[in-house]
Amino acid sequence: MSGMLDGGTRLAAENGAEVEIVDFLGAGGQGEVYRVRTPDGERALKWYYPTCATGEQEGIVRELVARDFADDRFLWPEAYVPAHRGSFGYLMGLRPDRYKGLPALFRRQLRTSPRALLTACLYTVEAYQALHSRGIAYRDISWGNIFFDPATGDVLVCDNDNAVVEGDASGISGTMEFMAPELVRAEPGARPGTQSDLHSLAVLLFMFLMNHHPLKGKRELGIHCLDEAAERKLYGRSPLFVFDPADDSNAPDPMEHATVLATWSAAAGTLQELFRRSFTVGLHDPAARVRESEWRNALRAVLDSVVECASCGRQNMTDPGEMPPPRHCWGCGVVLVLPPRLTVTTPPPRTEHHIRLRRGARVQAHHLLPEPTRHDCSDAALVAELVEHPAKPGRFGFANRSQQTWTGTRSDGTVQKVAPGQTVPLRSGLELDLGDGVRAVVRAK
Amino acid sequence: MTLGVRRWETLADSVQGVNKRRNQDWYECRGTGSGEDPLVLAVADGHGSAVHARSELGARFAVDRFVSLAAHFGRAAHDCHEPGRLARLMTYARDDFPRALVHEWQQAALGHWDRNRPVVEEAAREPAPEDKLVLYGTTLIGAVLTPWLFVAWQLGDGDLAVVEHDGTLSRPLAPAEEDLGDETESLCGRAAWRSVRMHWAPVFEEARTPRLVVLSTDGLSKSFASADGYREFVAGLAGRLAEEGGPGVRKVLPEWLAQASRYSGDDTTLAAALRSAPEVPEPVEVTVDEESSAVAGDAAGAEERKTET
Repeated sequence: MSGMLDGGTRLAAENGAEVEIVDFLGAGGQGEVYRVRTPDGERALKWYYPTCATGEQEGIVRELVARDFADDRFLWPEAYVPAHRGSFGYLMGLRPDRYKGLPALFRRQLRTSPRALLTACLYTVEAYQALHSRGIAYRDISWGNIFFDPATGDVLVCDNDNAVVEGDASGISGTMEFMAPELVRAEPGARPGTQSDLHSLAVLLFMFLMNHHPLKGKRELGIHCLDEAAERKLYGRSPLFVFDPADDSNAPDPMEHATVLATWSAAAGTLQELFRRSFTVGLHDPAARVRESEWRNALRAVLDSVVECASCGRQNMTDPGEMPPPRHCWGCGVVLVLPPRLTVTTPPPRTEHHIRLRRGARVQAHHLLPEPTRHDCSDAALVAELVEHPAKPGRFGFANRSQQTWTGTRSDGTVQKVAPGQTVPLRSGLELDLGDGVRAVVRAK
Repeated sequence: MTLGVRRWETLADSVQGVNKRRNQDWYECRGTGSGEDPLVLAVADGHGSAVHARSELGARFAVDRFVSLAAHFGRAAHDCHEPGRLARLMTYARDDFPRALVHEWQQAALGHWDRNRPVVEEAAREPAPEDKLVLYGTTLIGAVLTPWLFVAWQLGDGDLAVVEHDGTLSRPLAPAEEDLGDETESLCGRAAWRSVRMHWAPVFEEARTPRLVVLSTDGLSKSFASADGYREFVAGLAGRLAEEGGPGVRKVLPEWLAQASRYSGDDTTLAAALRSAPEVPEPVEVTVDEESSAVAGDAAGAEERKTET
């Protein structure tokens, strides 16, 4: 077996559990990961390279274990495994097979969809928001930490051994590609924290949706192997967004960067605007960076506005709201025909959610709340679903998947009760009282 | 002349396929494996058909560019014990190296095309760059070894076999599903960097360095009826090297490759690095898998050859 530990090696975790190495799962930048047998079943063991097994890293791991952070979006250190032959490690859950890494996405080895990617971005933002709200800075947000389910967009944040309590000055400050410029420049007083995490998060979201780094344009082509000075310039001293509206000297190269040219033109304007802010003023002014709540609201709105091309069936992002600018399908080039829109109005503080009624459109529990703390796009939180009439193709209705009876009012004033499981025909002007003060209206545009 | 302890013994050869007009493979072994002079191995297999009419040059460009980039990378890894450095190197090896390699190969191929334009009618349209690159299509497998790091990359078919410190034989870059027929990924493919696979293995104890690293074009593995035959060949090679050392095997290697080439009909190339024996010899027993035992005899005499068609 390759790696630092042999199969069958027995170690003792500090919580008393006996750990037996089963097999080698992989090697990363800080250490190796093994499948291990414990009295509680199989777990993953992260084992640091000796050069990374510092006293400082041990302190971080012990702190994280003691914190006992229970959140199913994270694989968190569960137990410290003390030193053996010059290194140490920790136990965590095994990553289920359905979660895939971003390198596989960039290599087009996954079958996924714009909806799944937007969902993954939304969940990623909320995962980091959950950390920040607990006063924890992640410090090492990068594409190596995030795994996602290409079918559903569910995310799992791994390698959580660099998260520290906000204000803690210790340790490394992330991969340069994801580091905030002030950290790359090593400015006095600049420390990894929530503000610098916001830059890393914007880079990660850009890479999720555009499959490219936001600062790697023409200038990147002049950089040779591991030229650290040139990279410090690219990411720190004079970073320039590849789509900077005022300076195109780092624009994408049509041959080398064809992917980002295509993905950017397919992105909704709402998201393009947030990325522009992140990578123009946000590069130089940490206070101007896009906050998690802004990302969350924009991503949810764009997710609700995804439509399918009537010609080729591909999913396309459109801009939320009443009269979005016309768009062409990114796949076949045909002008997109927008389906009707459902406007859901929450109880005070009143918030409107606009959902394009594409085939299979869904109202989720988070649409009923003005400020949802966590979005859930799974069937478990489904409230309503657009379904096709089984006997009359082309006719659609809303199926009530909630536990509440709705009241539907047509444009002619007639009223209809819609019990759980029942379907109400889709008509322009239809108003639905979804209960608890939530109203929904179908609009033609 | 290299001063200091010689860490690796290398051997490499290539034979032309029986029905080929020229050998479209290329290979290189360079360096000692020290921090200042990393050992770099590479083999490439030009596709060879009419649409890839310059693929023997494409293979050569691939090996040359890889050797240069990988040696630079290996030297840059001398400070890999510094905090955060390994993470940086791994990110580079996984994400940036494949892009740099593909870019350099494209520049070399397009530069050659410019200097060697085919004779065409004046009115003929200039081919698109991607059409020019198809002429040079090739696969590539390469590895770099330093005292602290073993990293390998592969694009397309062919094989990387590693005999680990404990005798376990692994093929760390073997795809989950073998390519069907003669179809393979290529350096001339669209966004070829996406298809590059990487093996990353830092080394922290000299005793856990791999014993043997073998790179070969698919002319070798195709000469066996199954993957087991290829694995037995590598196990046999490890055994012979342990018993006889490099010089003995180097003498018979051309005949082994020629025999493989007769069965596969393809150009066949192998480049290997054997870790120099420690002062106290270790018993060598290569574990192929649970079912098959080590073959320490005539590696080229592996029984499981395909019948010629």
